[in-house]
Amino acid sequence: MSPVLYYFLSFTGINILMCWSLYLPYRVGQLHYLTVACMLASAYFSGFAAREWSWPFALIVVVGILIGILICLIPSFAIGDAPCFTVVIIGLTIIFILKTAVENSPALGGTIGFFGIPQVNHLLPLTYLLVVYAGAVIYRIDHSRLGRAASVVFVDKNTAAALGIDVKRLGMFFQVAAGALAGLAGTLYAFLIGGLFPEFFNLGVIGTLMCMLFAGGHTTMWGVIVSVPILEGMQLLLPSAIASWRQVIYALTLIVIVLVLPGGLVTKRMLLRLKGKVSGGISKCNN
Amino acid sequence: MMGKHTKSFAGLLIMAVLLVCLAGSSLGAPSAAVVDQWEIPFLNCLTGPIASIGEYMAWSAHRAAYEINQKGGIKGKPVKIVDYDTGVSPEKAVEQMARIVNKSLVSLGPVPEACIMAAMPLAVRQGLFSMTASTTYEYSTQFFPWTLSWYPPTDKHLAPAAAAWAKEQPKMKKVIQFVEKWACWPSMADAHADGLASVGVETFTVEVPTDAVTFGPLVVRALAQKPDGFMFTCTSEKVAKIIIELEKYGWKDKSKILIFSSADDMPLYTTGRDSLNGCYIYAYFDGAKETPRWKTFKENYKKDHGGLDPTSLSTIYYDCVYMIKRAIEETDVTGDPKKLKAERIMIRDYIRNMQDFDGIQMAWSMKDGIPSDKGSFLFVIENGIKKCVTYVEAWK
Amino acid sequence: MEIFAAQLLNGLSLGSMYVLLVLGFNLMLLVAKIIQFAYPHLVVLSMYVCWGVLRHTDNMLLVVLASVASCIVVNVAIEPIFRLLAKRHGLDINVSFVVSMSMALLITDVMSHLLNYGYPIAFPTEWVGKSIFSSGLIAFSAGQAYALFGGIAAVAAFFYLLYRTRQGRVLRAISENSLLSSIIGIPIIKTRVLSYAIAGLLGGLTAVMFARLLGSASPGLGDFVGMKVVAASILAGLGNLKGGLVCGLLLGIAESMAIGYLAGSWSNAIAFMMMLVIMLIKPEGLFGIEA
Repeated sequence: MSPVLYYFLSFTGINILMCWSLYLPYRVGQLHYLTVACMLASAYFSGFAAREWSWPFALIVVVGILIGILICLIPSFAIGDAPCFTVVIIGLTIIFILKTAVENSPALGGTIGFFGIPQVNHLLPLTYLLVVYAGAVIYRIDHSRLGRAASVVFVDKNTAAALGIDVKRLGMFFQVAAGALAGLAGTLYAFLIGGLFPEFFNLGVIGTLMCMLFAGGHTTMWGVIVSVPILEGMQLLLPSAIASWRQVIYALTLIVIVLVLPGGLVTKRMLLRLKGKVSGGISKCNN
Repeated sequence: MMGKHTKSFAGLLIMAVLLVCLAGSSLGAPSAAVVDQWEIPFLNCLTGPIASIGEYMAWSAHRAAYEINQKGGIKGKPVKIVDYDTGVSPEKAVEQMARIVNKSLVSLGPVPEACIMAAMPLAVRQGLFSMTASTTYEYSTQFFPWTLSWYPPTDKHLAPAAAAWAKEQPKMKKVIQFVEKWACWPSMADAHADGLASVGVETFTVEVPTDAVTFGPLVVRALAQKPDGFMFTCTSEKVAKIIIELEKYGWKDKSKILIFSSADDMPLYTTGRDSLNGCYIYAYFDGAKETPRWKTFKENYKKDHGGLDPTSLSTIYYDCVYMIKRAIEETDVTGDPKKLKAERIMIRDYIRNMQDFDGIQMAWSMKDGIPSDKGSFLFVIENGIKKCVTYVEAWK
Repeated sequence: MEIFAAQLLNGLSLGSMYVLLVLGFNLMLLVAKIIQFAYPHLVVLSMYVCWGVLRHTDNMLLVVLASVASCIVVNVAIEPIFRLLAKRHGLDINVSFVVSMSMALLITDVMSHLLNYGYPIAFPTEWVGKSIFSSGLIAFSAGQAYALFGGIAAVAAFFYLLYRTRQGRVLRAISENSLLSSIIGIPIIKTRVLSYAIAGLLGGLTAVMFARLLGSASPGLGDFVGMKVVAASILAGLGNLKGGLVCGLLLGIAESMAIGYLAGSWSNAIAFMMMLVIMLIKPEGLFGIEA
């Protein structure tokens, strides 16, 4: 496989996981940027465990996920049902604090960065195996009572509470699940790149992920599966003459999509219509 | 008189000598190019917060290509610099490196450090020599032999520059160094402190927060320690702002201020202006040098940059393109895709041990990927112009 | 004590700038129901306008007018985008946040590509001014005086407009309940546009004062300030104008004290950690959400 395709597919898989980690808490109306902090922590842990302690990949993945869960779990006791922008600022604050901690830790390479993370064989198929598994779990959550409860909380917290939904516990559940996904993404990212630099985990990453989530569609998990490859591919296809305007193109794309297609490229309604057509077609065939 | 036989013998001898010479010259001559043009990819930060730095690095590489093409190209074929934008994103750097890593003979960049860290492991794995010339020794050596270090080891290179400044200020005993924790700057700050310690000057550090909006509080903190002088290891814009604040708080002796090379960038001069008068700065080239080549470069740079002068980093990739030219011309590199692997190694080995390279500012030699005789210049700033005080050799 | 007084003075002048930015930000949040993350970026853009005008004239009045006019024009020009957004998404401030983040990115990238070759801009030395008072470590520049006293005057005028005029009552009515306001005949769209214009006016004045305080600007300044403005607003309680006033000022002072007293790169992290603790204890902000 050509390196271009390999990295394109790998980053697509990792970004889908990260977008899902933003999608899940957004089901209850929270922009949970804390997931980027989870990604940072688990990436550094994975790099360190692989290089310094020679831990096996499977163990690192498990511990990476646990780190993501832990980072989201502790604040979730306070912000499980907090207003969206409180969650935003707490996320950004923890990213900043973790970044500062990394920059001041010589063992993690400080500001120079951490390199020399050993490669893993068959990382790409492993990534997609994990993406598919995570997707199946999210699909089950979306189509369970939890998913329906989240939809009510998104529309109106008070109504949700009146219906007997524990808004805080539901929020905590989605935040922790997001942490697990981000922890997994962080581990895969560390092994894919082979080196980590604290500057990577900044506002730009959040902007890109938000663009992918909202352009694809924030009302369904399938949206990012369409938008991530398009936006990842866009930068590979842009001619070098306009390459320097990439950020502007991203920003304009997002504004136009949000204005023209309010739910993004893939919406729940669109999926229901598609489902109707498919089941209609099948029943016609059966008749 | 020469006999008939003698004449024909002499004729044969001359012909034989000519043939041997011709054969010899054709044996020693580099192979001809098989490509229509030499495409050199440049992984550069063309977007984001340091896009202006990426712009002038790209400008200088394109300028070198333009000059080379005007003079007939490399082995008769034109050179083309192809820009690949990485922003400051490691992810994009890897993706862009993946686009070139299997087809390019040699590459320029990546820039900056985050992108180097992310993309160079791939270049190393695939055996692509990539010239990460904008960074320091610490970063480059991680990826040897698949890159070069543009500078000698940091502790051997920067410490003497700081020591040379301290020697100019004999009464100075205590210096505050403003350090921004970014990439390799902390290790550069350590080298400065070593240099100052070598001449008996004590250094204290005041860290500069990356997202600081005003610098008054930082200056108050520094002045409260009653220092004799200041050293700067932070972004050019911040250096200028802190110096302006120092002036506001009554600091008058500018000769007791030394600015490090990475801040020798346009924002230092456009922001600091008259407040910089009398400050010292060290850098790797002397802009006042009047050689025809430098003059042409400077004039064209100013024409394309609204009259602004070129700065330290603006010449690096200009020299890199000329290094590649010489490597291709002096070896059997043909650009033949079938010989890609071998030709990449030829270029790598030639550049890493290039002797007497004629750079736009100075000539130097490389030994195992590290410059063996590159020093720095100590300047004093007067009305936005750097006046050379002394040339400082690197410590052995 | 001398160091503390010097840092307090620095903090007050910076804080007064944050106050103005938080007020403009909160006004749009209250009346137009949007999170305008790109507001500080617009202020930086107006600083570039100031700089451009200053290259041709040193007439202070013209510079102020140009800065204010540009900020009002751009801020009002983007109002239809948010109106359309409200029509398509309902009044979802999360979506407005995402769109305004994109706008911020656009403004920053345009500045770094097209204005002054992406280099920082510097205002004339006399524009910033020398120290008007100096004693030991305490120094007070003309720029700081403009920022502090100009800030106080602008805040006073803003609160007068909001609490002592008919137009201010209309703005407050819409922020309380836009449906009832429209029933009693208040023109909603016109008043929302007015809130953008007032925020633009505040932004333009802030740009001039910021220019005098800092003496320079760069494309990245909007991002540095933007996060702090959003943080101060949330810490106060989203849309809480009086809370914003207190928290903006406190943020300026806390930033100065953190840089002045705490260890290097940890200074901001410690300040953020304190903020984190407050927000974990009071997720709705110190003064309660009003938006």
